[in-house]
Amino acid sequence: MSNAFPPIETESLSRGRLNLLGSALGPFLTLGIVILFFAVTDQIRENGGTFLSQRNFRTISVQTATVAVAALGMTVVIIAGGIDLSSGTTVALSATVLAWGLKHNWPWAIAVAAALATGGLAGFLNGALISLLRVVPFIVTLGTMTIYLGVAKMIAEETTIRPDQATQVPHWLQELLSTRNEALWLGLPLGVWLALGLALALAAVLRYSVFGRYVYALGSNESTARLCGINVPANKIALYTLAGLFVGVAGMYQFSRLSSGNPTSGLGLELRIIAAVVIGGGSLSGGRGTVLGTLTGAAIMAVIASGCTQLGLNNPVQDVILGVIIIAAVTLDQVRQRRMAG
Amino acid sequence: MPLSRVLLLVFFVSWGLAGCSGQDAAGPKSPSGGGAAGAKKKYRIAVIPKGTTHEFWKSVHAGADNAAKELGNVEIIWKGSHLEDDRDGQISVVQDFTTQRVDGICLAPLDSQALGPFVKEAKQEQIPTVIFDSALDDESSIVSYVATDNYNGGVLAARQLSETLDGKGGVILLRYNPGSESTNQREEGFLATLKAEFPGITVLTSDEYAGTTENSALDKAQQLLIKFRGKVDGIFAVCEPNSTGLLKALELEGLAGKVKFVGFDPSPHLVESLRQKKLHGIVLQDPVKMGYQAVMTLMQHIRGETVEKRISTGEYVATPLNMDEPAMKKLLNPQQFGE
Repeated sequence: MSNAFPPIETESLSRGRLNLLGSALGPFLTLGIVILFFAVTDQIRENGGTFLSQRNFRTISVQTATVAVAALGMTVVIIAGGIDLSSGTTVALSATVLAWGLKHNWPWAIAVAAALATGGLAGFLNGALISLLRVVPFIVTLGTMTIYLGVAKMIAEETTIRPDQATQVPHWLQELLSTRNEALWLGLPLGVWLALGLALALAAVLRYSVFGRYVYALGSNESTARLCGINVPANKIALYTLAGLFVGVAGMYQFSRLSSGNPTSGLGLELRIIAAVVIGGGSLSGGRGTVLGTLTGAAIMAVIASGCTQLGLNNPVQDVILGVIIIAAVTLDQVRQRRMAG
Repeated sequence: MPLSRVLLLVFFVSWGLAGCSGQDAAGPKSPSGGGAAGAKKKYRIAVIPKGTTHEFWKSVHAGADNAAKELGNVEIIWKGSHLEDDRDGQISVVQDFTTQRVDGICLAPLDSQALGPFVKEAKQEQIPTVIFDSALDDESSIVSYVATDNYNGGVLAARQLSETLDGKGGVILLRYNPGSESTNQREEGFLATLKAEFPGITVLTSDEYAGTTENSALDKAQQLLIKFRGKVDGIFAVCEPNSTGLLKALELEGLAGKVKFVGFDPSPHLVESLRQKKLHGIVLQDPVKMGYQAVMTLMQHIRGETVEKRISTGEYVATPLNMDEPAMKKLLNPQQFGE
């Protein structure tokens, strides 16, 4: 790899590559501590002992799948130095399109393809606007966030679309994230396996493909990347489109879980998606972030939410704990990075 | 530097091992815990509201807590979804309580469909569920449905508004949010009653949604008051944030007290405005009774008694005339959790 693009082999780039595991170690450690904390307190509690059960981890994996898949896409965007605030409402938009298609008796394959395409198209538009208008991603996606919300409301005619479960929703889509025993394949529902498969594929793309290296290069230093002959607009559009496809998959997940398409059910989701990437070691200034880290980040949030419910801790406490962990995880990671750089 | 990495790795692996050994310990502990509790079992009941910050839910919480105190052997675990109106979050909460094997669940579903499969899943795990406040489409897996008859609430609102208008004039229905079952029932009850009983009343608009917050309600109400100025004689706002936003809009437009106004659900501010005749009626539910009845019904079922499939907790109208009667006073200022 380094032979291919010697001039853009910046410090942060080589660090991101050499320490692939290393940069995911911090979040991993946090996850371990969080799990341990809840496991111990759960053991002490009267009637406790359910937190470490296989069933609970299965439930947590299902609860985090939607955010995790969308966060995979966000990882690409954030590594490239961008941000996508529209990802939350795009999740809901894709779910709404899927629900609309099924409600109108489209074959499920077409409805699902339309939902994924919706995500991809939304991402394409983000990338195109960012490249063509030369407006920063934060502003562009702040705008498209409400545009996609509006479009979803138009499709749903400002209500919730509910396809008939018995006749219009295929069985596999209902069971995609179900923890019922019949729905499990090798201990996990299909949707979780699909998410893991997508994560592996994305990790390979980021690490071994030329496009993947461009993504890191763009985030490390965009002007250097341009000087090296990378087609910045084309690659940006491509990476936002790719991220959009992941968001489309997340939309399918949300539909499966809610069994309906609701235009507003993605509001606020973008913050959790971004938080997963950031807790997982992604840097908002670009050039840094890993797939493994992001999955870990998403898992940390899900474990905290589940653990707090199981311990009977109320929402205000949970809000505070999550906030503290976001700041602590990122601070620790930065300290570690600085030490390694120095 | 490599050394610190190695240390971290060792650290992590040991956490992992600690986690695994914890899992082994989980097996023997739970049954013995159950045995010890057999002497005097303490029932753990999860109560899951639609939101946690509205005053209505604090009163439900108080009612559930009253029931627990009265029964003595019940512990209430009060837990809403993380964000208001977060369906996915509420599903997660139900799943978590199912995993944790509570003895029963009282649930106010945010979505009449989405929560269905998860209530069914709880039933398969022998955890009974009482639904309160808002209905679930699929009632095959539930013990009982404890709620206000919202349709009747809308009927009462229509009658109160028409009475203050002497049966004639133009009225606006300020709806809440698309897809909300309970408010939809109120809206339908209101419109159907006006149509059937009060031919002198014209409905100026009935398809405007005020949204979920006071702020969005204020914006929408102000737009409507400007649009229908001079034509509007009465308004019905279908819930508390709606009513508060509308009241503010009426004050800003100088129409407070002039346009007849019936709200739904009280707040101290709305009650004060009722006294000042800026409001001409508030439809009341009984959230304290709802929380109490939900927990009581669930425990009756757990004890093996048969329970009613549908329990109504009552609807009432407070007016400037009757608001100081003791029964109304109690409903206008319901007990809240922690008082």
